[in-house]
Amino acid sequence: MRRLVASAALFGAVALSSMAHAQTTGATLFAQNCSACHQLTGLGIHGAFPALAGDPFVIGDPTRPAYVLLHGRGGMPNFSEDLSDADIAAVLSYVRSSWGNHAPPLDASLVAAVRGGGAAPPKERSVLPGH
Amino acid sequence: MATESNGAAFSRRDFLQQLQGWGGTALMMAGMDALGFGIASAATAPPTLTGGGAGKKVIVLGTGVAGLTSAYELSSAGYDVTVLEARDRVGGRSYTARKGTKLTELGGEPQVCDFDEGYYINPGPWRIPYSHRGYLHYAKKFKVGLELFNNENEHAYIKFDKGTGPLAGRPVRKQEITADTRGYANEILAKQVRQGALDAEFAPGDKELFLDYLRSEGYLTKDDFKYIGTDGRGMDENPGAGLDPGVPSTPHKLTDILHSQTWRTLQSVGSLDMQHTMFEPIGGMDQLPAGFVRNLKPIIRLGHVVEKISQTPEQVTVAFTGPDGQKGTVTGDYCVCTIPLSVLRGIDLDVTPEFKEAITGVSYALVCKIGLQMKTRFWEDNHQIYGGHVYVDDPGVNVISLPSTGWLGEKGVILGFYPQGASAARVSAMSLAGRRDYALSVGQKVFPEYTESNDGSFSIAWHRVPFNMGGWAQWTEEGRAKYYPKLLEPQGRLYLAGEHLSYITGWQEGGIESAWSQISKLHKRAMATV
Repeated sequence: MRRLVASAALFGAVALSSMAHAQTTGATLFAQNCSACHQLTGLGIHGAFPALAGDPFVIGDPTRPAYVLLHGRGGMPNFSEDLSDADIAAVLSYVRSSWGNHAPPLDASLVAAVRGGGAAPPKERSVLPGH
Repeated sequence: MATESNGAAFSRRDFLQQLQGWGGTALMMAGMDALGFGIASAATAPPTLTGGGAGKKVIVLGTGVAGLTSAYELSSAGYDVTVLEARDRVGGRSYTARKGTKLTELGGEPQVCDFDEGYYINPGPWRIPYSHRGYLHYAKKFKVGLELFNNENEHAYIKFDKGTGPLAGRPVRKQEITADTRGYANEILAKQVRQGALDAEFAPGDKELFLDYLRSEGYLTKDDFKYIGTDGRGMDENPGAGLDPGVPSTPHKLTDILHSQTWRTLQSVGSLDMQHTMFEPIGGMDQLPAGFVRNLKPIIRLGHVVEKISQTPEQVTVAFTGPDGQKGTVTGDYCVCTIPLSVLRGIDLDVTPEFKEAITGVSYALVCKIGLQMKTRFWEDNHQIYGGHVYVDDPGVNVISLPSTGWLGEKGVILGFYPQGASAARVSAMSLAGRRDYALSVGQKVFPEYTESNDGSFSIAWHRVPFNMGGWAQWTEEGRAKYYPKLLEPQGRLYLAGEHLSYITGWQEGGIESAWSQISKLHKRAMATV
């Protein structure tokens, strides 16, 4: 950990640019995976898809929204097989800091910890879609 | 029932009624099991609702197959039935998109189907298993013509990009993968058996029969049990007339098949709801709802969006917004509500907190489809693929399905993608043109004619469709235990019905049989209180 901090101090410029990169990645991942329902505005659609802007759940304890991304909830799918821990951290960090949200970012290790705590089992790898 | 021509069904029912007379329900149930019904298995005919309905008024909400079944059976039994439907059409998910069909998803662009006259896609349910006897009952009763749906085509392609080796990333005929995988598997097993490695598995006399089976199943050579190919995997040149016996093909290597991952499409037998024989209604999936409407006494009030369901001990009242925005209410003795739980959770309901919680206790499938109209039937003309599915391992597409209608005709509509879950979330985030282009880009790698031939498209993301908000209910084991039983019981005068209240979720059969089950309960209660 100390070594990590030292590296971050030494290569501050790199760290900054990688943060900017994470923000871009987060925005892209959000547009690709989340915007169909929550909308690019983060406002969702009233009565159908929850708003993420100003949502206490989203800007609160980051382990809880991370859990939802890994397990799904209600009409929301489980992204545990489609997004890596780093992806989930990036997209959640983006959501927590966009549209007026000001919650701190999270990193992949937090997502890994949540995933390790009993993530959903892998989906059946059948290639024959049901229904 | 007058149209039921199956004599065996009648005699079985007669037999069961005899049993019930002798030994009550318990003996009848045992008899049902003995006859192979299975107590929890599918019903095969609508309930008999005798007694005339006693002038009771029932409000049916929704006109998918669950609502239409409820409305038809209850009104036929003598109930005074009022039907409210939120949309300007009947059928719910039993739906067909054709020229002029309009759809605007939540947060989406307006879409008008641009297919030619006579061409269509079924964006919701699209195939009817032979085991779905409720659906077949009504199709027969209302004279809705059916045609075969080709749910398995050995000559179609598998194109898997995620595997490795020479069979990855290119279309391979499924028949080659099937023949070679099973051929080698049988050969390997036969070798072990013949060497005596598995003698402990066999009773006296079994071993030779088992070897006969392996040889037959895998097309192994007669004397040394080798797999060297078979004509069913395809010929390099097909046999012809005169002196042309054709040219046999050479099997792929087992290792190449294994690493291509294409074997993942193989199963010993189709799952219960995916077997031959499969049907589809001639002319589109909306033909069964149309059949109901032709035979339905009550008039369906279209454009009525339910806002609130309230009740007293004596009555249930449904408040709605009508087609012109005017508010209104309708009151009845009972209400059969077939609104999907994904939508019902947003409606003001006079139910217990536990019931309300149960309504939110299930998730709905995210699922997309796209119909692509093609100028020529190149899959038939150039590839000799008549219906069935091309499997791809891009989860945004899953299958490219070729139509089982309009054989050898001019044009056709292909199902261009069928993603579910997180992949469906991703596909649905694309613009309408983006979805089409994505579908075309995947299909192009299978069929060189694909993009050039495309001249129309219609896509749907069911999780974004108003009044549906999802493809179908997806119960977890926990939800089945904790919430599902609560929803099967009426709340006061409110009965829920639909595919979500069955073990056949995501199929029209679930909606039909759920309606049968719930209106039986309603009828029993109504008759008891006359």
